[in-house]
Amino acid sequence: MATAARYGSRVDAGLLVGCVVLSLIAVVLKDEDREPIASALRRSIVAPLVGLQRGAERWRSAWVTSEQRQLASDSIAIRGIKEQAALVENDQLRKIVGLGSRLEWGFIPAEAVHSAAPSEDVVTNMTLTAGSVAGVQRYNPVVAPEGLVGVVQTADPTMSVAILYTSPDFRASAMSADASAFGIVYPHTGRGSAAYMLELRGVPTRVQLKPGTQIFTSGLGGTFPRGISIGTVVSELKTTEPWTRTYLLRPSVSPSHVTTVLVLTAQRVTQGTGNVWGAAVNTDSATRRIVAANDSMARQAALIEAQARRAALDSVRRATIDSVRRSLGAAVVPEPTDARDTTRARRDSARADTIRKRPT
Amino acid sequence: MNWTGAVRTMLVCAILIVLHYTLRPLLAWRASIDFLIVALLLGSVRLRPGAAAVYGFLLGLVADSIAVSPFGAAALAMSIVGFGASWLKAVFFADNLALNGFFLFLAKWIFDLIFLIVGHRAIDPELAMQIFVWSPLAAAVTALAGVVVLSLLKPLMDVRTT
Repeated sequence: MATAARYGSRVDAGLLVGCVVLSLIAVVLKDEDREPIASALRRSIVAPLVGLQRGAERWRSAWVTSEQRQLASDSIAIRGIKEQAALVENDQLRKIVGLGSRLEWGFIPAEAVHSAAPSEDVVTNMTLTAGSVAGVQRYNPVVAPEGLVGVVQTADPTMSVAILYTSPDFRASAMSADASAFGIVYPHTGRGSAAYMLELRGVPTRVQLKPGTQIFTSGLGGTFPRGISIGTVVSELKTTEPWTRTYLLRPSVSPSHVTTVLVLTAQRVTQGTGNVWGAAVNTDSATRRIVAANDSMARQAALIEAQARRAALDSVRRATIDSVRRSLGAAVVPEPTDARDTTRARRDSARADTIRKRPT
Repeated sequence: MNWTGAVRTMLVCAILIVLHYTLRPLLAWRASIDFLIVALLLGSVRLRPGAAAVYGFLLGLVADSIAVSPFGAAALAMSIVGFGASWLKAVFFADNLALNGFFLFLAKWIFDLIFLIVGHRAIDPELAMQIFVWSPLAAAVTALAGVVVLSLLKPLMDVRTT
């Protein structure tokens, strides 16, 4: 038994030594000698495994390629989205630059950071990146290229908070484009998309506004200058008020799209904004100015005509006096250049000539 | 080991060898699972040390013929590891997964050690990095995979030579 075990151990050791020696021989073989052995193994016994490995590597490369394609298509899609966002931002900035160039002075540009709490259904305020150091004051109007956004509520040194037209505290005195109807704009009390609508209240019953009528700030109250676009009339709202009408307005500005705004300074509010938002009221005032100018021109023309008529009468009168003088044998005084002075001089000279001298 | 057990062991070893040439290239990990080592240990513990050395030698030749590594290095390493595993089979057969995992880890690391030293023929920083960083990692992954395989195939194997 022990002999068999010893024999078995020797066999095991011998086999191990044999395997090790063969392996070492394989290791020390030259490439040209070992390659035929490896090649023969690959073509015979190991061929199925080679096929399996090749197939697995193909699957792997196909998977990697598809992953790379997916990544490439994803990056293209992301680039497209970014490009779209850049285009939108570029468009907004162009509009802001356009508004700034139209306003020329009296505004402070600021970036708008939306600060809606998760619990809020509607965005009611926004943080502006300009503060009192830049000149922002409380109650300064906040405008966008499309129209009125809100009003500054608090102004800290480096930032300020503005309430939007959706805020329950927001009010603006407003009027129709042709200044035929005045009222007060309130935020509309509704849910969902209706929460972003506005109401124009207090419009006299005799005035009826058609859907699509543009509504602008009226400038009354002093908070907003006249002529900032607020929105357009959508429909009339039924209320219990017998003497006034209330209209539902679609705001000109969508708060979610506002990223850059201009804060109008108090001085600019006092001086007005002119026809920046294309208000017909400004066109109307321009028309009035043109009419007034025409009137003054007409007055001037009438004045010139009256002077010419007077000059003509004077010359007729002079001619008559001269002929009378000639008939009486008196000397004719040459006509001076200045009509008014000559008249006076001629009267004097006529008197001197016509007075008979007393005999001495 | 009866014939049924031998067939089952051969079947499991064949599955592991197939996995080595299918799953491993698909995963393509830097520290990859060495299913050949698991197959080697699984077979070696059921063989005499000499037969285990021959089994390791043959398995190593298969690995050498397919890989671009120096021909014979894997055969040498697997012969030694197979012989050692068979010699230590009493320890290996302890019904303790953690101990089995440790021996799988040790076997893979020793295999890599012999394989790299024989294959490189020169000690350089890259070899040291391979031996002390990537080889332990690969050994750990192999040990983990081996433990999982042993747990899954325990009902199929159902052989105990205590």
